[in-house]
Amino acid sequence: MSFSSQYPILLEAVPLAFAALCPIVGMWKRKLCFPFSVAGVLATNFFIFSLWGKVTSTNTVTYALGGWRPPFGIQIRIDYVGLFIASIIGAVGLLVLIYSWRYVSHELEEEKCTYYYTLYLLLFASMLGFTVTGDIFNMFVFMEIFSIASYALVGITGQRRAVRAALKYLLMGATSSIIVLLAIAFLYGTVGSLNMEDIAGRLQVGGYTSVAGVALVLFLIGFAVKAALFPVHVWLPDAHSIAPSPISAVLSALVIKMGVLGILRIFFTVYTPGFADLSGTWNALTQAVAWCAAISIVLASIMAIIQRDFKVMIAYSSIAHIGYILLGVCMLTDRGLTGGLYNILAHALGKSCFFLVAGAIIYKHGFRRITSLRGLGRSMPVTAGAFAVASLSIVGLPPSAGFIAKWYILWGCLQKHQYAFVVMVLLGSLLAAVYCFRVVYYMFFVGPYGDGIDEAPATMFVPAASLAAGTLFFGIFATLILPSLGSAARALLAG
Amino acid sequence: MSKSTTSVLPAVIVFMPWLALVGAMLWGKSRPGFAKIVYVGSTVATLLAILTLYPRAQGGVASTQKLVGIAPRVSLAFRVDTVGFYFALLLAVLWLLCAIYSLGYIHGRETRYYCFLSLNLSFCLGVALSANMFTLFIFYELMTLATYPLIIHEETEEARRAGLKYLIYSISAGAVILLGLILQFYYGGTLSFLGHGTLNLSQVGKPVLLTIFSIYMLGFGVKACVMPLHGWVPDAHPAAPAPASALLSGVILKVGIFGIIRVVFEVFGIELLHTLGVSLPMLIVASFTIIVGSLFAITQDNLKRRLAYSSVAQVSYIVLGLFLLSPDGATGGLLHIAHHAFMKGCLFLCAGIIIHETGKKNVSEMDGIGSRIPITMAAFTVAALGMMGIPLTCGFITKWFLGVGSIQAHRPYFIAVLLVSSLLNAVYFLPVVYVAFFKGRSPGEELRLSKRETKRSMLVPVIITGCMVIALGVFVTVKGFPYSLVEVVVKAFF
Amino acid sequence: MNFNRIAHNLNYVSSVVLFLLGLYAVAVKPNLVKKIMGLNIMETSVFLFMVSIGMVGSGNAPVVTEGVKPATMVNPIPQALILTGIVVAVSTTAVALSLCIKIHEHYGTLNASEILGTGGPF
Repeated sequence: MSFSSQYPILLEAVPLAFAALCPIVGMWKRKLCFPFSVAGVLATNFFIFSLWGKVTSTNTVTYALGGWRPPFGIQIRIDYVGLFIASIIGAVGLLVLIYSWRYVSHELEEEKCTYYYTLYLLLFASMLGFTVTGDIFNMFVFMEIFSIASYALVGITGQRRAVRAALKYLLMGATSSIIVLLAIAFLYGTVGSLNMEDIAGRLQVGGYTSVAGVALVLFLIGFAVKAALFPVHVWLPDAHSIAPSPISAVLSALVIKMGVLGILRIFFTVYTPGFADLSGTWNALTQAVAWCAAISIVLASIMAIIQRDFKVMIAYSSIAHIGYILLGVCMLTDRGLTGGLYNILAHALGKSCFFLVAGAIIYKHGFRRITSLRGLGRSMPVTAGAFAVASLSIVGLPPSAGFIAKWYILWGCLQKHQYAFVVMVLLGSLLAAVYCFRVVYYMFFVGPYGDGIDEAPATMFVPAASLAAGTLFFGIFATLILPSLGSAARALLAG
Repeated sequence: MSKSTTSVLPAVIVFMPWLALVGAMLWGKSRPGFAKIVYVGSTVATLLAILTLYPRAQGGVASTQKLVGIAPRVSLAFRVDTVGFYFALLLAVLWLLCAIYSLGYIHGRETRYYCFLSLNLSFCLGVALSANMFTLFIFYELMTLATYPLIIHEETEEARRAGLKYLIYSISAGAVILLGLILQFYYGGTLSFLGHGTLNLSQVGKPVLLTIFSIYMLGFGVKACVMPLHGWVPDAHPAAPAPASALLSGVILKVGIFGIIRVVFEVFGIELLHTLGVSLPMLIVASFTIIVGSLFAITQDNLKRRLAYSSVAQVSYIVLGLFLLSPDGATGGLLHIAHHAFMKGCLFLCAGIIIHETGKKNVSEMDGIGSRIPITMAAFTVAALGMMGIPLTCGFITKWFLGVGSIQAHRPYFIAVLLVSSLLNAVYFLPVVYVAFFKGRSPGEELRLSKRETKRSMLVPVIITGCMVIALGVFVTVKGFPYSLVEVVVKAFF
Repeated sequence: MNFNRIAHNLNYVSSVVLFLLGLYAVAVKPNLVKKIMGLNIMETSVFLFMVSIGMVGSGNAPVVTEGVKPATMVNPIPQALILTGIVVAVSTTAVALSLCIKIHEHYGTLNASEILGTGGPF
């Protein structure tokens, strides 16, 4: 057995091990926590990106944990979509971690830094585990780990509003986790297996039972809460805006995407869309989710427009973008699904850039009101420029990744002749233009302009700028991943 | 369009104005004087590079350059065809004149101004040289955003309000065009320009085609300021600095027209439009805009506002010419792109000099300014005569072809629209000339002939545009002038 | 309504009833600690249900010994799962309670409607 065949397990085990060791390192020397975490995340990134060659050549890489063959043992199953999302987690996770260095030492008391990096690594590791696992209960466990880590990270400052937001998040998050657990129990009760592919096979053979149908609905509700889909989005604006900015970035860019990924796994791996018995339920459910998603887009964009607080505005925009992703997914066409998946990338880059910019401004000046951002284009040119570029992607204007995603989502809606959704998506981008360009306007076109440049530290503006550059890169060189993403989408739809 | 050659030249041309950004980065702070030379120099370089395309464009040969594939059957690609070359050449010439003019006119925030001026040129060239609707749309949207800083350059309350209005109109229009684009792609299967219409009546069906057509017209109509979508124009023009308004009226509105041209010739094709029967409704809308726009212009006292309404009316000449769907009509419309660009460019630049030298914005205050700035007002008069369509000016050529075209299309009654419009043009332009030269000649303190009229960098572009108005009206068939190019275009499409 | 059927699926019914009781507590009770107790009730309902589906009538403990066939053993997987589930539940509860302590420090109360100022369910 060669070393490279162990990459699938290493990519979650290594960050977990680093997370476990981080408190010990912190006890010894607090300053070492940051380089230690960077080393862990870098190593993980190496494993993730080394897997690309294998996954693109063989489509799916599987790994049986402890040598126990599925369905008995836990299986790690890395398909194209999983690796795509894992790579986003790896790259964004690394950039945000680098960003955290100055921010955390500025914002948190010194003894909390160790906790911060430990929890961050835990969050990072569990999201990767969630992404690559092929076992449904394993998925639940990782979901709980990243949920607990994010509850703790939201409240890590211990401030009045932070703990309140964290508890609000916890109550909804934990409830949704239990709903997912109940669904797993129901499903296990009927089919007697926990391996996703195995469940799919048994459902095909044994036929669709009412219990399996109830489980599907429960899964959907549970993951919708994690993804902050309308109408169960109420926890998001508080949690995402009050958390420390790098954490907001990770929460918005990655953690809510885990809910989306959960829905994808349930929709396409566990319950396959080709399954004839389900088609009635299937259409009703996807239509319902699509409508929730479309309402998310419009409603959250309107809510974003009326906000005065910069970070709350960005948080509402995340709800809208989850709407885009799920709308694309629920069209159940290859184009729509490709668009949804591409928007996971586009939104991860754009939104984390937004939050990092917000963090840099809070770090430098301490204000959060949109109207107080005047003249920042002159004094913080890189930070403000990164925001302007990323807002192209969030609005969905060319040539940015967000545009490609929107293009495909619209295409998907047309394939299903859902003209109402086409209009709602376009309306959503108009509203997004209002809330994004308002900020750009205050930054660049309203004086008074200071004279000198007063930029945030390089470890803060470089990650933000590279994320912004990423939105442009994936807007222009979309063909790098679009064709394979398209075939991955077709593979998912085929079941 | 005969054979297709691959060349990087179109892509290079599109990104050449970015040299100005390099200049701004290197010398914007330390040596502002030298940076300005770089700004103008980059425009000159772009113009020269476009001229090298002339032999290919004249023969009607398109050169395609696929830059990056975005998605299956969708790519960023450039190509040069005659109409694109014609537009690109016009862009570069007018841009150069306005850049030179700006050297004298713009004070304060120069770096931002010149950077966005150059970016805007780059994006407009991208529209002109795009090889498919997708590329066109991308550069169209970028151009929309890059225009905003020019409009609010002076950062007054008025400018901000105008800028906001502009953004609301344009971004909504962008979303509408995107809708049209995706519908076209979904039903037509391709977005490329192939030299003929790509949508197919038998495959797609009339209702869908009409929907796509109206969506496109709605989207591009905002930039082309077809009534009732013109709302942003009269606010944006007075607010922007004079060279920027000259560009707005002269070419940026034409970018919308250029979009319509592509829709007419490359998306639908003449025959399909005939079958759909959209000609008459569009002609009525255009005529309405021409007449009502002129009527609005008469009521304006603010000179730049008057000119803006005049642009609303004049740009619809082009729409009128295109939707006559006859060769001569199209010739007239296409010619008017260049003609109007020079005439209105000249008028706005003159208005800029008036503001710069005398501080007067309203026509009612302009008594006797002709003696203070005689050359400027002479150029103004020439351009105004051009607008009225007096023979020996280029405006006459437009009207001649439009008139012949409407007879060719068996719709002779549109000649009446042209005549009424000429009359109205006279009503709102001649008073300015009258006031400037013949009214209140008691200057005393105004008549200071010893003082130089204005800065040379501002006067020269005005003189050049003024001369062009005459030259285009007299030397119509000279090679390289609009007519020789438009002839090729019209031959290719009819 | 077929009572026989309900009696046959008593584990489903009772777990759902218990689950809804917990959900009620989370949603409606103003006291934060009671909300957390509600979460625990919900979790417990799922655990009980999971154990019940692994039941084999008069089955043996799942330990491999001479003479005991696998078919007569109780399914061990649900038990293993709920062990994990209990660990997860305990850690969630721990985080929740520590947040409650912090909230009590800041607000001096654990009444959700006073803390949130909205009177909403969460």
